[in-house]
Amino acid sequence: MITLGMDIGSTTSKCVLLKDGVEIVACALAPAGIGTDGPVQAYREVLLRGGVPEREIRRKMATGYGRKCWPPADGELSELTAHALGCHFLLRSARTVIDIGGQDAKVVSLDAQGRMASFVMNDKCAAGTGRFLDVMAGILKRDVDELGGLAAQAAAPAAISSTCTVFAESEVISQLANGVPVPDVVAGICKSVAVRVAALARRAGVKEAVFMSGGVAQNAGVRKALEDDLGVTLHTSELSQLAGALGAAVYGFQKMSK
Amino acid sequence: MEEVKKVRRPPDPNSAKYKLGQIAAKAYSDVAEAKARGEKIGWISSNFPVEIPETLGIPVCYPENQAAGIAARGGGARLCQEAEDAGYSNDICAYARISLAYAKSGSAPEQDMPLPDFVLCCNNICNCMIKWYENLAKELDIPMIMLDIPFNPDDEVSDAEVAYVKGQFLEAIRQLEGITGKKWSEEKFQEVMANSCRTSRAWLAATSMARHTPSPFNGFDLLNHMAVMVTARGKKEAAEAMETLLKEYQDNHEKGESTFRAEEKHRIMFEGIACWPWLRATSTGLKSRGINMVTTIYADAFGFDYDSFDSMIRAYCKVPNAINLETSRDKRVKLCKDNHVEGLLVHTNRSCKLWSGFMAEMSRQIGEACDIPVASFDGDQADPRNFSEAQYDTRVQGLTEIMESRKEGAK
Amino acid sequence: MSVQIVLEKFRAMAANPKGQLDTYFANGEKVVLVAPVYTPEEIIHSMGLVPMGAWGADMALNRAKEYFPAFICSIMQSVLELGMKGAYDGASAIVIPSLCDSLKCLGQNWKYAVPSIPFIPMTYPQNRRGDVGKAFTKAGYERVIADLEQATGTKFSEEKLAASIAVYNEHNAVMRQLDEALATHPEITAAQRCDIYKSAWFMRKEEHTALVRALLAELDAAGGGPEKIKVLVSGVLFDSPALLAILDELGFQVAADDVAAESRQYRTDTDPNLPPLEGLSEKFSRMDHCSVLYDVDKKRVDLIVETARSRDAKGVVVALAKFCDPEEFDYPLIRKACEQAGLPVVLIETDRQTVNYEQAKTQLEAFRDILA
Repeated sequence: MITLGMDIGSTTSKCVLLKDGVEIVACALAPAGIGTDGPVQAYREVLLRGGVPEREIRRKMATGYGRKCWPPADGELSELTAHALGCHFLLRSARTVIDIGGQDAKVVSLDAQGRMASFVMNDKCAAGTGRFLDVMAGILKRDVDELGGLAAQAAAPAAISSTCTVFAESEVISQLANGVPVPDVVAGICKSVAVRVAALARRAGVKEAVFMSGGVAQNAGVRKALEDDLGVTLHTSELSQLAGALGAAVYGFQKMSK
Repeated sequence: MEEVKKVRRPPDPNSAKYKLGQIAAKAYSDVAEAKARGEKIGWISSNFPVEIPETLGIPVCYPENQAAGIAARGGGARLCQEAEDAGYSNDICAYARISLAYAKSGSAPEQDMPLPDFVLCCNNICNCMIKWYENLAKELDIPMIMLDIPFNPDDEVSDAEVAYVKGQFLEAIRQLEGITGKKWSEEKFQEVMANSCRTSRAWLAATSMARHTPSPFNGFDLLNHMAVMVTARGKKEAAEAMETLLKEYQDNHEKGESTFRAEEKHRIMFEGIACWPWLRATSTGLKSRGINMVTTIYADAFGFDYDSFDSMIRAYCKVPNAINLETSRDKRVKLCKDNHVEGLLVHTNRSCKLWSGFMAEMSRQIGEACDIPVASFDGDQADPRNFSEAQYDTRVQGLTEIMESRKEGAK
Repeated sequence: MSVQIVLEKFRAMAANPKGQLDTYFANGEKVVLVAPVYTPEEIIHSMGLVPMGAWGADMALNRAKEYFPAFICSIMQSVLELGMKGAYDGASAIVIPSLCDSLKCLGQNWKYAVPSIPFIPMTYPQNRRGDVGKAFTKAGYERVIADLEQATGTKFSEEKLAASIAVYNEHNAVMRQLDEALATHPEITAAQRCDIYKSAWFMRKEEHTALVRALLAELDAAGGGPEKIKVLVSGVLFDSPALLAILDELGFQVAADDVAAESRQYRTDTDPNLPPLEGLSEKFSRMDHCSVLYDVDKKRVDLIVETARSRDAKGVVVALAKFCDPEEFDYPLIRKACEQAGLPVVLIETDRQTVNYEQAKTQLEAFRDILA
């Protein structure tokens, strides 16, 4: 049985085709999210890559902030459940999932069966989210994907302490004006995201294994800072950015096989 | 296709909804009429002992209710902005901002209310109330009567606290007699206390009907009916209306009906003041998923059932937000258990520091004690700018999915 | 001792409360933390315990977020953060009054966040003037005494309290004297002035009194310095090093303060002729001019204007701690009264987490130009 998961975020659309709930047939990622043709692109691409005719897909599930705006969907689920299922798929022993998304950060606790037991999300503030990293990358005139590499070159992370994106922006600017090297500033930015997410994780309760999903999982700077703060190893996967879409496909399979 | 016109049934004047609506509306019109007659009228905080103005026959109106009404009708952002223009920080409680802005202009199309000749403040719900009323009194140059009921860090109300509050209570009466020229009558006081207890008992009984599955009512009803509990619980009509409400809920239960117009798939407790500017969004987000909010702390908050002057004082010392974390938690755990609650949805209310300031720990403890999932969302009781519909929706959906998965797991 | 040497001593105390705490522990002393804004320190002192101010610190807030939402003031958050991170380890108790809503929450969270340091609540009355108010204050103090006895094993006595009250009255007097003296000494920087006030929180008051006296003597001998622009500063706290450095750099002199952690502490003495505990309760009944003490007349606002005038201050700098609602409510009235009195006001929003006050610097530069 083929099921499909579509994760429509604020800046990207991710799509996964799954066979029998266990085998990933194809994935696609379009760098455009809600309100764009990103979902259409990702959908077209995944079908092409998977070589699966549309009619063979038994269930298409949408998740992410744009989950209600994708007409082909047979149903939708929250990205919380989607990430829980997706991460459980990628790491069976995962009991805590940390996802830093574009608009929010979330920490999901899983029970021993991999079901979501509880979750916490950030308060209404962009600090500690992917958006914060985007804004900061913009100020530094760098690509957000470069941040992890830059942070690794830091000698001493700069202190970026403000809770507010706007204030943090002026902090970053004045650090640069004071001649602090870019890698140190980047490491400071990564750390400031990490401490915020770590607080969230502690609020939820951290049980190992801890899996990090979402695009920011690829940012070694944030990941490392988070590991240091929480004192645990963070597991991740090259597919971590697709965890939401994958979870949605798993959910579709579970619903159909009932 | 033929246009289907929604036929609005005329309201049944014998229904609780009608009666309660009338009482709530009358709360404003009575005071406006009194003001027009030249009587002195007051503004009063929601948990000030209503027995005092009611016994003295002093017309009072409630800025908190007014602010909620203004916010629900879309005026929140405008009045908050006016207060901010006058120098008030946007971090300040939105009820206070709306009220202070209103006090300046004296009119709001969403809900008018006559300006006061004095204010009656009781801080048993928060100390923010003191600052708000100080500023009203200063800006309007009118007297303020302050009844201080401090936050109680202990499980029981001490005799020292009762003596302190009692002393102030008598002083407040003396001050009010001086301002209005009206006289305290012990006989009237007994009558008001009796009414207040009768109304409270009916309210407690009505809200506790949620123990049945499905609940005979939609918990959002309580948010509306609460206005009467706040303003009119010392009146005979309020007692009668609440008894009608109880009767209706009992009838609903017997007939298997409910004012919750959807299949009741999940039962939650809602924590915090309603998000008035987003009432429809917050209510639809629940109803569309078959979630009935079967209880809130309000069900317990107005349980002013007492049998003596001292026990009345003690009741006012034990209102939610005047009590410590453990007592607050236990009250909620009881409500959750009595009403078979399956999830807790917490409104992290930017306007209410006291209510939100130790809620993280308390809701953790409630979740554990009741073995229910907890989700929270950011919002505000009256400032529409502090709420995100998408965030709310995701969190409610997450909560729903946990409740669903638990039910599937239990099968 | 020269002025500079005494100032260095204050600086060392103010900058290193942890070191001071460790010194007390090394000497076998028991330390009781006192949270903002008012606590019965005299009682703690009289029981042979060291009262030590816990007003938080300038730091990033991480652990406190497990308990507090973002919109609780950073002063409370940083007190909890320090507690959770072990900065206060070894203290025998913390006394937290419920003078504002965030303080109430701090007390409740403390029990779970820092279980190793017992929480002692102090419940003050807001209607503090009448007999019932005074009786309630006294009952609150008695409760603190009972809790302190339990937490520390030391005994309370009225005689010892009388002695401590004398120590505190003397300290109050000396701090008021200092405040007046500094108004005529522009060479003492805003940062140095702050050190003197801040260090009072980390020392026994008799020791602090002695040091302040030493300074006053040296100041008398030293004469003044070149004139600066006199301002009155107001707020819960005014101790951010970055902010103080900006004041100094721009040539401001703090000619008076209405800061909760500074002068507001020292305005009221205890009547030594009353029985000690009653006297202490009576003292609270007369305390005023503060955002967390009920006052429908808002005399605090008038006091700011009067003090600014009497000290010849050219303007008022209000440091508003973000999310501190008692102060936020007073601000529009302060602004209005100052404007009516022809006193320019500048509002600086402060936060324990802010390291960089670039925006404030721009504001203060403009403010200086207005005053000049």
